[in-house]
Amino acid sequence: MSAFARSFVLLHIGERRFAFPAGLVTELAPAVRLHRFPHTSSHLLGAIMRRGKIVPVYDPRSVFGAKRSSANLFYLLSECNFGAATELFAVPINGESVLVSGELQSSEIAGPEYVSGFIAVADERVDVLDLNALIASTFPQEADSTLARVRG
Amino acid sequence: MSLANSETAKSRPGRPSEQVILFSVGNHSFAIAAEAVQEIRSTDSLSGTATEIENSGIEKVQHTLKHARHSLYVVNARVHFGLPASRPTLVMILRGMRVAVLVDRIERMAEVSFLHRLPCAFIGRERNWYRALAYMGDRVIPVVHAGGFLDEEEIQYLDSIAAARQPAELEGAVHE
Repeated sequence: MSAFARSFVLLHIGERRFAFPAGLVTELAPAVRLHRFPHTSSHLLGAIMRRGKIVPVYDPRSVFGAKRSSANLFYLLSECNFGAATELFAVPINGESVLVSGELQSSEIAGPEYVSGFIAVADERVDVLDLNALIASTFPQEADSTLARVRG
Repeated sequence: MSLANSETAKSRPGRPSEQVILFSVGNHSFAIAAEAVQEIRSTDSLSGTATEIENSGIEKVQHTLKHARHSLYVVNARVHFGLPASRPTLVMILRGMRVAVLVDRIERMAEVSFLHRLPCAFIGRERNWYRALAYMGDRVIPVVHAGGFLDEEEIQYLDSIAAARQPAELEGAVHE
């Protein structure tokens, strides 16, 4: 495992704390304007404009049963797998983010697919978020069929 | 109707620009290619040319409109986009299509030099509604796909309803 892979960003999504591999973070962006327009895709709040790109805002808080909060909001931007392609996603996160070093460890008990393991931070176990798995679980199958349509 | 307050967006060199009409439905703004719109009329001017379709089977289409010897299907944009109740005051007659669209108001005309693709994460009906997104005046505005208001299958379905009703109406006229 590379030294980069051992760095994690500790962040809050709703009321849950996760560790996210620092190497997968494209950017931690401030709470720029959220643009909303009519659509029927679940788990998407709208889009933000970031560095000349329109980035969909994915809201996993409904998956975790967490309340939406605008307190100290900013966005985690990360390239994620979407079907066979990659797409830049923005995820709203709350509170401060801290960079820590840790060793990814496997859980003894199988957890949700979006948890790839845990790291120990000051005697506390913090779940490591697998955003690709989370997105795959909330966009089942449609993602592939949509991509097929987009590509014609 | 004249479209005043035109705004020319900053164009990027080497990129063709496109004239769009910005319209609103409820609290949302949309853009449509200006060349896709043949005419814009007030809904007040439609009396005598619009006919109600009973039980159309397609909620967003409740009327037909006679225009230049053609019968157009009137799509309520509010229902099409699944928005809360609003008050349409204008109808956009689309060019080369048998479709007219009820909208609340026209905001302005503008020129866009760059269109963003709709991110793949948007996997719902919006893929048929929008052909792109535009960033204009600090707003992300969906650019609607003119052919997305009514697809060919829906038009054929509405045609079949109209055709089925015509003989009955003619029969009624004979008996009168």
